[in-house]
Amino acid sequence: MGGAWGTFATQPEHAHVGRLAWYTYWVTFRDRLLATLRAIQPILDVRGVLVAGSEVPNLLEANAATTLVVSQDVDLAIPIAVHEEVKARLDQITRLVPSSDEPSVWVPRPEAAELIEVNFIGLDPAIVEPMETYEKQDDRLPLMVFGPLSLLTAGAVVEIDGLRIPLPQPAGLALEKLVSDRTGEKGDRDLLVVAGLLAVMTPSDYEHLERGYLGLPIELRHQVRSNLSILSLLDARPGMPDPRAQRPAVDALVRRLEPR
Amino acid sequence: MTLAERVKAVHARARVRRWEYRQRNLAHGAWGRFRAALTHACEVYAIDDATAAALLAEGFAADDRGQGLEPPRTLVWITAERAAYLVDARPLAIRLDAELLAARCLALVPFP
Repeated sequence: MGGAWGTFATQPEHAHVGRLAWYTYWVTFRDRLLATLRAIQPILDVRGVLVAGSEVPNLLEANAATTLVVSQDVDLAIPIAVHEEVKARLDQITRLVPSSDEPSVWVPRPEAAELIEVNFIGLDPAIVEPMETYEKQDDRLPLMVFGPLSLLTAGAVVEIDGLRIPLPQPAGLALEKLVSDRTGEKGDRDLLVVAGLLAVMTPSDYEHLERGYLGLPIELRHQVRSNLSILSLLDARPGMPDPRAQRPAVDALVRRLEPR
Repeated sequence: MTLAERVKAVHARARVRRWEYRQRNLAHGAWGRFRAALTHACEVYAIDDATAAALLAEGFAADDRGQGLEPPRTLVWITAERAAYLVDARPLAIRLDAELLAARCLALVPFP
């Protein structure tokens, strides 16, 4: 299987139920993702808000094809400077409600079960270290302000059927994922998302990534190189970009980033 | 898990990362150094001690990033042309699986 993310190892796990079911699965998830974003369009329209996390590569695909296997939620990065503006628009969100367990996560109302969860996370340009991550307490919309999210910079605004989706630049997203601690299956999948990003990044994106890297504290630079080495040794997983195909790109990138 | 608990967990992982960074050149960093070497290899072959010694005698470069493991791994960087003439060498998938880790000596071919 091929796609926007280069070579895929095999078809997704769902392939065994037949091509029609596989097609239906992806169309359905794409529809659910886009319906969710439509439900929160007033928030997406706030200046500086970005869709973040592993759904971004899905949305960067041609016509937001959504072919990667990721969890059924979408992250929204909220710059703390527009937190109040976002809160002022929450009343316009009618099809999702705050989770009783965690009010920064909004879940679909029972009658909107086709939607997926939305995670509100905070972006503070003043911090970058995971150690500087903090909780922004708020009665209406508390946020976990995660240091490495500040590596995200605004990129393309994808428009699909009138829906406007602000996305980060691929280089910043790749760097954010490489800086973050990765453990277990979720960690490996995040690195496979990086493999997908590397497959489509332009020379200009690579320069952007290198500039961002050079601005990091030395420990985080080491973390980036360490995660790239893990990525280069990962095996393929169904429905995800094949990391083996990206080994030459990882080699070249690590050579650029290694201390001279 | 509440936000406060998640923040504590992120801080704890960050402290572990700092501790690991400080050990990057010590024994705890051995796996990171080994991975870093493999990252630059486009082909890896399992070779025996005699072949490793012969390659080193031919002037190919040793890489000490396998020495921190127990037992130590001998890594030798060779050219693709030389790899074509290896005798009794087994090509390996480049991942940290049992087969690669069972090999005491590895010949590595760098990306062009």
